[in-house]
Amino acid sequence: MRYLKLVLLALLLAAPMVLPAFYVTLLNYIGLYALVALGLVLMTGVGGITSFGQAAFVGLGAYTTAYLSTAFGLSPWINLVIGLGLTALVALFLGLITLRLSGHYLPLGTIAWGISLYFLFGNLGFLGGHTGLTGVPVLEVLGLRLEKGEEFYYLVWLVLLGAMLATQNLLDSREGRAIRALKGGSLMAEAMGVNTTRSKTVIFLIAALLACLSGWLYAHLQRFVNPTPFSLGIGIEYLFMAVVGGAAHVWGALVGAGLITVLKQWLQDLLPKIFGQSGNFEVIVFGVMMILVLQRAREGLWPILLKLLPAAAHPHAVPAGEPLPKREAPAPGTVLLEVKNARKEFGGLVANNNMSLSVKAGEVLALIGPNGAGKSTMFNVISGVLPLTSGEVRFLGERVDGLPSRQIARRGMGRTFQHVRLLPTMTVLENVALGAHLRGHKGVLAAALRLDREEEARLLAEAARQLERVGLGQHLFDEAGSLALGQQRILEIARALCSDPCLLLLDEPAAGLRYLEKQALA
Amino acid sequence: MDLQIALLLGQDGVVNGAIYALLALALVLVFAVTRVIFIPQGEFVAYGALTLVSVQAGKVPGTLWLLLGAGLVVAAIDIALALRVGNRRRLPAIVGWNLVLPGAVAGALYGLDLAQLPMALQVVLALAVVVPLGPMVYRLAYQPLAEASVLVLLIISVAVHFALVGLGLFFFGAEGSRTPAFSDASFQLGTLNVNGQTLWVLGASFALIVALYAFFGRTLYGKALRATAINRVGARLMGISTTLAGKLSFALAALIGAFSGILIAPITTVYYDTGFLVGLKGFVGAIIGGLVSYPLAAAGALLVGLLESFSSFWASAFKEVIVFTLIIPVLLWRSLTSHHVEEEE
Amino acid sequence: MKLKSLLAALFSIAAVSAAQADINVGVVLSATGPAASLGIPEKNTFALMPTTVAGQKINYIVLDDASDTTTAVKNTRKLISEDKVDVIIGSTITPNSLAMIDVVAEAETPMISMAASARIVDPMDAKRAWVFKTPQNDVQMSTAIVEHMTNGNVKTVGFIGFSDAYGEGWWQEFSKIAELRKIKVVASERYNRTDTSVTGQVLKLMSANPDAILIAGSGTPAALPQKTLKEKGYKGKIYQTHGVANNDFLRVGGKDVEGTLLPAGPVLVAAQLPDSNPIKKVALDYISKYEAAYGAGSVSTFGAHAWDAGLLLQNAIPAALKKAQPGTKEFRKALRDALEGTKDVIGAHGVFTMSPMDHLGLDQRARVMVRIENGKWVLQK
Repeated sequence: MRYLKLVLLALLLAAPMVLPAFYVTLLNYIGLYALVALGLVLMTGVGGITSFGQAAFVGLGAYTTAYLSTAFGLSPWINLVIGLGLTALVALFLGLITLRLSGHYLPLGTIAWGISLYFLFGNLGFLGGHTGLTGVPVLEVLGLRLEKGEEFYYLVWLVLLGAMLATQNLLDSREGRAIRALKGGSLMAEAMGVNTTRSKTVIFLIAALLACLSGWLYAHLQRFVNPTPFSLGIGIEYLFMAVVGGAAHVWGALVGAGLITVLKQWLQDLLPKIFGQSGNFEVIVFGVMMILVLQRAREGLWPILLKLLPAAAHPHAVPAGEPLPKREAPAPGTVLLEVKNARKEFGGLVANNNMSLSVKAGEVLALIGPNGAGKSTMFNVISGVLPLTSGEVRFLGERVDGLPSRQIARRGMGRTFQHVRLLPTMTVLENVALGAHLRGHKGVLAAALRLDREEEARLLAEAARQLERVGLGQHLFDEAGSLALGQQRILEIARALCSDPCLLLLDEPAAGLRYLEKQALA
Repeated sequence: MDLQIALLLGQDGVVNGAIYALLALALVLVFAVTRVIFIPQGEFVAYGALTLVSVQAGKVPGTLWLLLGAGLVVAAIDIALALRVGNRRRLPAIVGWNLVLPGAVAGALYGLDLAQLPMALQVVLALAVVVPLGPMVYRLAYQPLAEASVLVLLIISVAVHFALVGLGLFFFGAEGSRTPAFSDASFQLGTLNVNGQTLWVLGASFALIVALYAFFGRTLYGKALRATAINRVGARLMGISTTLAGKLSFALAALIGAFSGILIAPITTVYYDTGFLVGLKGFVGAIIGGLVSYPLAAAGALLVGLLESFSSFWASAFKEVIVFTLIIPVLLWRSLTSHHVEEEE
Repeated sequence: MKLKSLLAALFSIAAVSAAQADINVGVVLSATGPAASLGIPEKNTFALMPTTVAGQKINYIVLDDASDTTTAVKNTRKLISEDKVDVIIGSTITPNSLAMIDVVAEAETPMISMAASARIVDPMDAKRAWVFKTPQNDVQMSTAIVEHMTNGNVKTVGFIGFSDAYGEGWWQEFSKIAELRKIKVVASERYNRTDTSVTGQVLKLMSANPDAILIAGSGTPAALPQKTLKEKGYKGKIYQTHGVANNDFLRVGGKDVEGTLLPAGPVLVAAQLPDSNPIKKVALDYISKYEAAYGAGSVSTFGAHAWDAGLLLQNAIPAALKKAQPGTKEFRKALRDALEGTKDVIGAHGVFTMSPMDHLGLDQRARVMVRIENGKWVLQK
């Protein structure tokens, strides 16, 4: 695997010298497309936010530098900074509105602003209207003019590989685990203290900035900007690339962008030979091929390619790290939790009718009752997953009803779920490390630049310690989904322990377990 | 802007809105039953209109070849599958729907003097060519992926859209066409001059909506579709075939799309690529209805039509900007009022 | 490694085919996408062009850019570096042609655009030195309309155009010239090619009550505003642009486009030109060739722009061949010089005489005013 990477890198370096000029041109475009698709992998494949509007962000980047450099003669590098800033502002604003949209409203929201921005580009006179802006200057790096495709190539691929590396780093970190939990695990992630709205905004922003970067490169490669490359149709094509390549994998972006670009080119050459007439058949054959690809490989092509490669030797060493600082344990006997007259109604159904209870430190309290008695509802109300209808909940003397679950988690309440909630494709270790989310502090940038390794090691070591403690030590690097149900429940307990809680809520920890497993649990 | 203009704009918006409403209904139907966001809906609009144009010109429409070809492929796949599992009883149905029916349509198109037929028959023939394409598209593109995520199905939709647009250009050429109006009558309604085609559009849309309502409320197949929409697994356990439901919903969508195309062909010029934006606006209407409610989807589509009409008067260059930007607050409102459920994907 | 040797092999094939010293003409046009109705007749025209000129075999390599600038540039790069073309013809629309200028200038390959905007060859600079074009500039056509309007005593005019580069180019030129000639533009509206209704825009135009209305669209989509204007009872004069000059427009427009006035290249009414007009013969020749191949009534003026580009080349190639071998840098330079030296070349759209400052070279003979009468194009004297 390592050799393979080196060979690939050497090939990339040598490409402009050995390949015909046109292949270098294609590689340039592949690089630009892959950059946008990479953002979509992070956002759609990993985070579950489908966006059709990325082309508009590409346009923002391209238009900013094209306009500023032709109208005011500003340096492209200054324009890059301005463009990124502008894109960040626009993305934050759009994110503020559209990320609140749930379910299918979100993709439509992205279609809406994707179309709006496209028509804005076309109808603003100072941006050259539909006809476009000519005379965008050549990019200069350290005094070198990047005029030819072969010269530009190195910049494009340097940026792309850098972005891919940073994205991979980010996904393999504390913030990355939170992002990976967004798709299908938001509720659980919130209960572990993750601010999912923030995580969503972060990936939306990163994807927008990557698109803007691609647009900036595009403007200086093409040296001409007009609205058509930023239309909704192209936005859909970017998504296409990500999905075909493998939307959940960083390398999928590159595979998808490469495949679609090369495929189109190939069809353009091949079809006239078959049908004797060029033009009309490409898009038909292209559409049909895409359907076939997805019918055979729903997860995209990268997972299939991975199977062909020799299995990578994952670092299966148990991470070593200093223990994390522990919370100051409350003195035994202090009242931790106090529930007074808690009432929860679902429409006309009263699930909890004025319940009261209190828990002291060092105490084990069991809530028992038949099916449908409202035990889980009580837990959900206490941990902030569900809002209370009336009454109050106090935790460590502080009123917590009405707070979101992540705030309550921050105060030291850990929990498990009645129906196991974990991320089946992540490893056992990563799942448990999610529990320690609030015990780390390094942010997105630190993760992308690998400045978080020391803290990361401590988090993973803590997770490994808790897994040893519950007896799952030999499963650290297995996929969580491959565990038996009983083990998954135990994993949840380890995850809750990992947050260093002073109160642990275990929701039916023994439900559905076999006798032996129950014994093990006890 | 005086009252007269406002009335005219309102009329224009309602007519366009009626078409969007029809498409919105079809989109809601398809999404509810199959979870497919049916972007190629717009292509059926163009196919319907342009096939009718060909028929009226006395020419055999290119879509016929698509129908025959798709029928052949579907039949080949299904017969092979049926033989492999030894289910010979299915063979007559497969052959009937995919080979005999297209063959009969082809026979009619070649045998009849198309240009001289009464208009109603021409419309029926055009529909007979286009509508069977709906279930065939479902069979070929979507059925093998019926359980995939909404995103994958959406991407399939985009691919189908690409292929159908390309075929449309091949069949019909780049220039647009119109058909003669269903009736040349026009009425004076106060100060407003209403032409016959407008009434046709409104009447037909209304009739279709009522018919759909009756279909879903009264018939067994309609109820089966509703059951599938509410709970796929449950419906299957009750013996409702999700495949049949999928094909049925696609047939309905194709019918509605093609018929919408035939309705608008006399009042506007239809091109091979007209469908996409029209479909998208129908989709916006559907989304306003939350992709579940038929009356709300129709109302949403009317809203889009009116918005479009008035903004094309006030600021025509920014029409699309206005229409699509004003949708965002509506979406926001929808998404805040509908309760948030974590998706299982 | 396998891939690399394969690529190397492909590369050498391309090199060998270039070494045979045929003249390779690269063509980029918009045969699909929004500009397809312009690009398709152009594509058809290339199939009619002579395959040998001055004893040299000519290969036409036609690529479709789907009306998209990125693809146009990609195709241009491909033609230059893979097919080693000696000249590029294209593209169909203005944005694509503008985007291609940098590429051809960098590769020092002459290019003949088939798009309308004057911006493609003006202002002349080192890059545009490589760029020529055949269609009349928007300015020329706008002037013709404005002149006709002043003669017809039109004082106020409304404008409705495509919301794309075509409508925009017309708006810029037309509004400028109209103002100069004291015609007041009282309303300016936009619509999309695939819009199903333009009632809003038409009502806005009519509420401004102009003497005449100019519709700047191409092909059949230009019929929609006019039909709506008639339906809403507009009584003034209606002008169209030369973009509508094909028979599909007449078919779709029907009786609603009767009396429409438009400027056009002489090829549109070639049969009605006086025999003394040198353009008549060339234009009729093109029409008969095109209709023989694609059916009666199928010809459009856009195809003739491609034909003219071919004629310019056929005129320039013999001169360039005297200086250098095809496939070389010197040949491309010689071809460029020969194109710039074009003198009195008669095309289907006019007579071309180029100069270092004028890379279009058409004069007043390149446009006539045409009126639609009884479903036919009729030359206005």
